[in-house]
Amino acid sequence: MKFIISRENFLLPLQLVAGAVERRHTLPILSNVLIKVSEGTLWLTGTDLEVELISNVVLSGSQEEGEVTVPAKKLLDIVKGFSDSSEILFSVEGNKAIVKAGRGKYSLSTLPASEYPNLEDWQGEVEFEISQANLKRLIDSTHFSMAQQDVRYYLNGMSFETEANVIRTVATDGHRLALCRIGYENGTLPERQVIVPRKGVMEISRLIEDEDKPLKVQIGSNHIRIFSTEFIFTSKLVDGRFPDYRRVLPKEGDKTVLSSKETLKQAFSRVSILSNEKFRGVRLNLASGELKLTANNPEQEEAEEVVDVEYQGENLEIGFNVAYLIDVLNALSSEKVKLTMSDSNNSALIEDAADDSALYVIMPMRL
Amino acid sequence: MAKLIHIDMDCFFAAVEMRDHPQWRDIPLAIGGSAERRGVIATCNYPARKYGIHSAMSTAQALKRCPHLKLVKGRMARYVEESRRIREIFSRYTDQIEPLSLDEAYLDVTDSDLFHGSATLIAEDIRRAIVEETGLTASAGVAPCKFVAKIASDMNKPDGLFTVTPEQLDGFVSALELRAIPGVGKVTWEKLQGMGLFTCADVRAYPFDKLVRRFGKFGLALWQRAHGQDERRVNATRQRKSVGAEVTLPEDVHSFEQCWEVVETLYGKLHQRLQSCQENLAIQSQGIKIKFADFVQTTAEHRQHRLDKEAFVPLLHQALSRQQGRGIRLVGVSVALPTEADSQQLNLALPSLECRSA
Repeated sequence: MKFIISRENFLLPLQLVAGAVERRHTLPILSNVLIKVSEGTLWLTGTDLEVELISNVVLSGSQEEGEVTVPAKKLLDIVKGFSDSSEILFSVEGNKAIVKAGRGKYSLSTLPASEYPNLEDWQGEVEFEISQANLKRLIDSTHFSMAQQDVRYYLNGMSFETEANVIRTVATDGHRLALCRIGYENGTLPERQVIVPRKGVMEISRLIEDEDKPLKVQIGSNHIRIFSTEFIFTSKLVDGRFPDYRRVLPKEGDKTVLSSKETLKQAFSRVSILSNEKFRGVRLNLASGELKLTANNPEQEEAEEVVDVEYQGENLEIGFNVAYLIDVLNALSSEKVKLTMSDSNNSALIEDAADDSALYVIMPMRL
Repeated sequence: MAKLIHIDMDCFFAAVEMRDHPQWRDIPLAIGGSAERRGVIATCNYPARKYGIHSAMSTAQALKRCPHLKLVKGRMARYVEESRRIREIFSRYTDQIEPLSLDEAYLDVTDSDLFHGSATLIAEDIRRAIVEETGLTASAGVAPCKFVAKIASDMNKPDGLFTVTPEQLDGFVSALELRAIPGVGKVTWEKLQGMGLFTCADVRAYPFDKLVRRFGKFGLALWQRAHGQDERRVNATRQRKSVGAEVTLPEDVHSFEQCWEVVETLYGKLHQRLQSCQENLAIQSQGIKIKFADFVQTTAEHRQHRLDKEAFVPLLHQALSRQQGRGIRLVGVSVALPTEADSQQLNLALPSLECRSA
């Protein structure tokens, strides 16, 4: 096999698929990228058996069809290292892959393409189109609440749900929950709920941009696949049932606070500096018109901030992990934020004051 | 300067047995598991120590050294009860008590006015009260810091007391052999000797940065100890960190199934022990320990919020994946208890833990 390609055209798809390549080499071939030339197109594939990424680019110039696998990281570093306008000649000779540009020549080890693992064939059962920007919003609004290496394995991922005219994502680690939903206008979606593993979620978030370009999403019984013009991404699904978010949305909140998001975020960020590094507890004292934030640490250092808020009602003292609050305020893009609370033992609901499409539930800490 | 007392009961389990069975008082006596079941010695009395028997020695070896050794199985419930009586005695002198085990505790009497503030006289009075009320003897170490108090309690053992005053501290520490310092085990002691370090005075003369580069955080601790520094205060709220159960098997086993049978038996014990200190069975992680025939041990653990027997299955597989054909002589199961912070953070009312249908 053989092809000629400019550095620029090779680098983009190569960088894309290299992200999916396994970094912990459990199987040698998983640290390789599959390279295939067929019908005038170059196809690149990377996988770690959990997720698979395929990208393609149309070739011009002389070429010979065929396929081979080479070490992904090394190939990427070599291509990256060539000067900007290089023409790269890639060929296979015996069991070596030869990469040439200018006066440089690199001979890489190969493993046969026939040994490269394929995700088994599967059928899409639900299919819909969504803009990159909308998918990005669904993921970026919630991903930080996913659990990490929790024995409740179904929490180590994100719940993707379709229902009539809504697409929804939910993530929770047992202490907090994040939910985001967007409307779907191109028809009615079947009711479906799947869990995308953490790695798959982070990979998708890396791949897509905040732009209007359309994506096609396909959901099967064990896989989710996303088609764009630049790549085809597939992830296995987590086999399990995600807890019903409706059961943890607080309903009894009677204390509603409105505040400038930016002011509140800055105040929490500053106060957090003197919170206990391990437990991150911060105390909130709510009174009519103002919210006082305090934190202290084992070194007996103390921080206090008072933020003006729109609130009339009873006083309330409640503690939270400040990192959870900052995560939420970072995810919100609104000018004003709304907090709804009831007492110091029950969860708080946080949302954009003008838009309830993203909801955040945080359980308090006892301080 | 702090005034700390380290109280250490003299061969506690054996002393309780000798008090309850005076006929065992003058013969070599040891508490431990049977040699057939490959048990080890937990404690032995002084007549037994004359034969070179010490705690943690295998019972088989102890019997080789002293064939007429009187071996008794031990009555843990009785020892726990005695330990409570002793702690009650401590509490008359101070509420700053940090128990280290059933037979050992640190007391902080810095702020005490008893005996005109003399820690030595307080320690003597505690020892007197223990003998009078329980018939057992204790040794005490009095010093301005924890590790010196601990070393001091060993100086005039049994039934003795040793005080290191603030004025004596520097000289006392300087002459100390490094292996006397808690935390310096056999391996570290060998390494230190290899570096030409034998006493605290040697460490003082050694470049600090080299020590830290070699031993990391422990190097810093060693440097501080060698200078008589130990900032650790008596921790009266010290909490239990883990609960476990383990057994040395009468004979090596080899298969997963055999090990699993042992785990099932141990699980019952673990469950019971956990329940007695943590009613809702909330934990932080659970783990398995395997000791192979060559005494090399391995552990596998997993974060977990509630004790779950089935979660031991993958852990046992994980531990046994390192078996490499070796026999298995010991199996243990344990859980780490949640720390203060874990219980401070409240949980969402998610439906309870779902198990993957295997």
